[in-house]
Amino acid sequence: MTLGIDPDELAACVQCGLCLTHCPTFRVTGDESQSPRGRIALMRAVDNDGAPLTPEIVEALDGCVVCRGCETACPSGVHYGHLIERTREALADAHRTTPWWERAGLEALAHPRLLRAGSAVLAGAQRFGLVPRRLGLPRIPLRSAPLQASGDDVYLFTGCVMDAWQRDVHRHGQAVLEAAGAGVTPTGDRVPCCGALHSHAGLGDRARALARRAIAELPGDRPILVDSAGCGAALKDYGHLLGTPEARAFSARVFDITEWVAGRMDRLVGSLPDAQPKPLDLRVAVQDPCHLRHVQRAHLPVRQVLAPFVRELVELDDDGLCCGAGGAYFVVQPELARRIRERKIGYIERAKADVVASANPGCGMHLGAGGVPTVHPMTLVARALGRA
Amino acid sequence: MGVLRGAFGRRRSQPVLPQDPVVAELVDALAPDRVRMDSAERALFAHDASVFTGGVSGPVCFVTSAAEVQAVMRIAIRHDRAIVPRGAGTGLAGGAIPLGAPIVVSTIKMNRVLEVDTVDRVAWVEPGVVNLDLTRYLRPLGYHFAPDPSSQQACTIGGNVANNSGGPHCLAYGVTSNHVVAIDVVLPSGELVTLGGVDAEPDGYDLRGAFVGGEGTLGIATRIGVRITPNPPVVRTMLVSFDSAEVAASMVGDVIAAGIVPAAMEMMDREITRAVENFVHAGYPLDAGAVLLVEVDGQDEGTRLDMERITEIAHADGARSCRLAADEEERALLWKGRKGAFGAVAQIAPAYYLHDTVVPRAALADVLRAVYEIGARHDLPVVNVFHAGDGNLHPLLLFDPREPGIMERVHEAGKDIVEVSLAAGGTLSGEHGIGVEKRDYMSMMFSDVDLEHQNRLRRAFDPACRANPGKVLPASHSCADIQALRQVPTGVWA
Ligand SMILES: Cc1cc2nc3c(=O)[nH]c(=O)nc-3n(C[C@H](O)[C@H](O)[C@H](O)COP(=O)(O)OP(=O)(O)OC[C@H]3O[C@@H](n4cnc5c(N)ncnc54)[C@H](O)[C@@H]3O)c2cc1C
Ligand code: SF4
Ligand code: SF4
Repeated sequence: MTLGIDPDELAACVQCGLCLTHCPTFRVTGDESQSPRGRIALMRAVDNDGAPLTPEIVEALDGCVVCRGCETACPSGVHYGHLIERTREALADAHRTTPWWERAGLEALAHPRLLRAGSAVLAGAQRFGLVPRRLGLPRIPLRSAPLQASGDDVYLFTGCVMDAWQRDVHRHGQAVLEAAGAGVTPTGDRVPCCGALHSHAGLGDRARALARRAIAELPGDRPILVDSAGCGAALKDYGHLLGTPEARAFSARVFDITEWVAGRMDRLVGSLPDAQPKPLDLRVAVQDPCHLRHVQRAHLPVRQVLAPFVRELVELDDDGLCCGAGGAYFVVQPELARRIRERKIGYIERAKADVVASANPGCGMHLGAGGVPTVHPMTLVARALGRA
Repeated sequence: MGVLRGAFGRRRSQPVLPQDPVVAELVDALAPDRVRMDSAERALFAHDASVFTGGVSGPVCFVTSAAEVQAVMRIAIRHDRAIVPRGAGTGLAGGAIPLGAPIVVSTIKMNRVLEVDTVDRVAWVEPGVVNLDLTRYLRPLGYHFAPDPSSQQACTIGGNVANNSGGPHCLAYGVTSNHVVAIDVVLPSGELVTLGGVDAEPDGYDLRGAFVGGEGTLGIATRIGVRITPNPPVVRTMLVSFDSAEVAASMVGDVIAAGIVPAAMEMMDREITRAVENFVHAGYPLDAGAVLLVEVDGQDEGTRLDMERITEIAHADGARSCRLAADEEERALLWKGRKGAFGAVAQIAPAYYLHDTVVPRAALADVLRAVYEIGARHDLPVVNVFHAGDGNLHPLLLFDPREPGIMERVHEAGKDIVEVSLAAGGTLSGEHGIGVEKRDYMSMMFSDVDLEHQNRLRRAFDPACRANPGKVLPASHSCADIQALRQVPTGVWA
């Protein structure tokens, strides 16, 4: 069996190893097979030299968080994201990865009513203490009022799990956008899911179907704002995923909510009495979600957005190393995810912050389960504006 | 909950224990998850960042303490097996490539900074600490580790010590050897000894100095005392452009002759400057024959005067332009260009062979010209980016590894570059080491008598040729029955 990776993209790696320290799985295991250089060498062994897909090779390729920290670290411009995406699809097609329960779980994401029903059961179970805390789920609301459209300047992409579990973050994002003078249309059930997790799990057909649905449901040229870095990265990648001009045009309309707000800070601050923000009395550490920093490469605006609204911002001194959440990674690879998180928490502790701001709900949940108080930057801004 | 954990979460494959008694003993001495013997992992540990193939790895051990290294060494002795220390595997001379299925000892998990003493200005570190991690750790204290190889984001201090690595800032500060005061070493006999010490002049022979640059053939470093260097108060960086590499080379000589030792003096030739500019947009001149990046550091007034003097020399030598970075941002941008150089060549060809020789500064221009001719003769594009201040050439030969027969041509060209460098009075390697890459060229540089003395030093540490056999010294001289090392001992690893 081959993985069918583009040979030119596969040839681009010179095996220099400069990516090693930027790879969370290498950092915690020290195994070459759990490193970008090693994974690429194994892909080559399979595709170029006909090596059999041994369980060890599958495990190495399956252990990748797809954080793409290796991509921003690589001086040779290797498109690791493309390599692993193709690999994951080939492995899932051959049923070497992504077992039935994972497929079933992912399928539910595309069905909002099913997801909400499941979430209600989960929320009930939480109330009765039946859900172990170490799974790291946030307290899921038993019921949450639907979001209301306030105008048609921008879409706010609401997605799947996040809408079911953390709708308040959307509410805070919407409040901030409104304060900055924008009328907001939440996308709601029209676009059930971005397909990011399906794509990570190698379910390419499902991911492409969801992408086509999103594009059909959100025509026109209104900006599409996203408050989950993972979803934003997926939506921005539709152009590559589908390869059509329509998909590329769609992707060009997608922005992380912090990117968009950063461009309108004067409106946001100007809306306040005397144009004077009242900063929250907090020292806030900025955690850059990988899909914001390494994939969208848009991690700087969040600093601009937060700065006027908190007492102090601090950076983590780890070059944006992954926290181990990785979409559904912390569910399918709990052991590696936990070790990666421990490392991250070390850096967070050194930053001596009151709270961590993360623009990706998955990271927030994962860090929260590790005992780190984590909030979405929009929640902080909404609080400082008195709107949360 | 056990059920849940079993159902959700990938099953991890259980390592199968082959019958090799070495493996069972290693597992006993370390831990099951710190000894890897599956074919995938061993295939990966058969390589480093070099273009050399032919390595065969035995079991791979991830050690966490000197005691564990000793235990592994004793097991190796008992079973008469060789060992190869390995850091991050970013070496370019094939130093960490295992020959003949030795036990590979990875230090990557020995990654703690043990102690920082700002009075003596020494930091004690484990060998697997990543170079840049150490500098980052020291930053809040106002210090850094001066050797800064271009691979510093990934390479380990243990690897730096073994290869006596250098970097752009070693012009003024010196290479790794100048920054190592003491080393704990597990000798090939299994003994743990300390070489060197914190005193300025430890008694007896400088065995620390002998160990640095030993490329893993003298034992395994398990704890290293390194000098830490205070961060300079002021740093000034200037980009000077020239019509030709020859003019640039003569300016390098003139600056040093004027008694100025800049912190760094890096040269890039026409082709690499273009590639870099397209890649990072740092404002490098596209039409220059060569550019020099010159940096001075120290006190405000001193660095200002140095830069004035350097600018005068540049103009007198016929430089086309001098651009002094106005602020930290511009300075970072200029360095980004230099540091992005290896990546930038990806626009020209998918792979490169990064060569490393040293020539006297006076011969720089001539050797550069010869290097271009060698590239043309073998039909290989060649670009140059290097530490001009100390005459350390780094020609990059560019190629597509998928082209049949290409590696022979690359190695031929590499050999020709060694020959012209030596003919000009230079040396085999500036900082990447000898490894397997230049092992067989050693006789071009050293007489049989020289090599025999080096062999005696090696044997004094390692009489049984246990540590990293097949490296550094050529076959006729030591521990390198190359034929035998290509084969795997019977009953062991295939
Ligand atoms: C893109 C790129 C740029 C580079 N730039 C530079 C540069 O500017 N300057 C420079 O000097 N080098 C450079 N190098 C080469 C390389 O990074 C250095 O030689 C580095 O010091 C190797 O460190 P490592 O941890 O990767 O060692 P490895 O490659 O793992 O090992 C190197 C050698 O050290 C031995 N060794 C490792 N650990 C120990 C130990 N604890 N005890 C005893 N022996 C040990 C190994 O057996 C081997 O012989 C570059 C490499 C790359 C890929
Ligand atoms: S992915 Fe990039 S950084 Fe990593 S080994 Fe390959 S070329 Fe080097
Ligand atoms: S995507 Fe992340 S986990 Fe995967 S190889 Fe790259 S750095 Fe490692």
